[in-house]
Amino acid sequence: MRPHITLSPKQLGLAMLFVALGGATGTLIRDLGLKINLYTIPRGSATYELADWTHQIPWVLLAINTIGVFVATDLLRHRLRHHDPNDPMRLLLVTGFLGGLTSYSGLFVDLAAIWHLTIGGCLLVAAGTILSGLFAAMLGLGRHRRRA
Amino acid sequence: MTLMFVSIAGAVGCVVRYVFEYLVRRNHPTSRPWATVAANALGTGIAGYATYRLIGTADAQLRTVVLTGFCGGLTTFSSALAVPAILQREHHWGYAAALITTTPLLCAGMFVMGMSLAH
Repeated sequence: MRPHITLSPKQLGLAMLFVALGGATGTLIRDLGLKINLYTIPRGSATYELADWTHQIPWVLLAINTIGVFVATDLLRHRLRHHDPNDPMRLLLVTGFLGGLTSYSGLFVDLAAIWHLTIGGCLLVAAGTILSGLFAAMLGLGRHRRRA
Repeated sequence: MTLMFVSIAGAVGCVVRYVFEYLVRRNHPTSRPWATVAANALGTGIAGYATYRLIGTADAQLRTVVLTGFCGGLTTFSSALAVPAILQREHHWGYAAALITTTPLLCAGMFVMGMSLAH
């Protein structure tokens, strides 16, 4: 099937609505997730003030991004495989929801914060991010291979 | 209230990214996701600018709306890695490798550029 790549203004408006709905939901969930603070748990009477760079690692965002890559790969490879890029389901789930849920820019904001403490650590986290994403993508592909 | 603004900003970011993708695809019918790369680079650049521009202001709400909301919606990590993985499976090895390596480098460059513009 040849994908219909040109949309009428009405179709484009509808497509943007799907993307906006998915994106709003995804962004909301990410924002709520990022509010989880792993390190300011009060111990005893005082709240720990932490200078260790490892406490700057954005574990929540890393987890969100990794899960997002896995789900996106799985969807694009399996369920939405033959859907064209303007398919409503794909717009809602992949372009909107998963696009809003995962973030590349947030990663760089956090990496910059680590960079000011340790450059080596920053590069290590950056490499880990890409590798975990690749691993998740491979998992997403692999699940399909077993099913086929 | 902030939550609502963050969601709306995220939705706007996503729609901007989609319009990028749509316009590129309409003019160059291809499965190659350079519009996503451009959206990621642009979003990271804006984030670099905003991080350092808003560092002095105590307005945490504005920071969250711009950074987590708009920039977060404009950029995507899921498509940035899922699409190369699928291209690789379709034997476009070089293309997949190029996408995976250029996206972070380009984004890092844009982030630093945004940062230096804010100073």
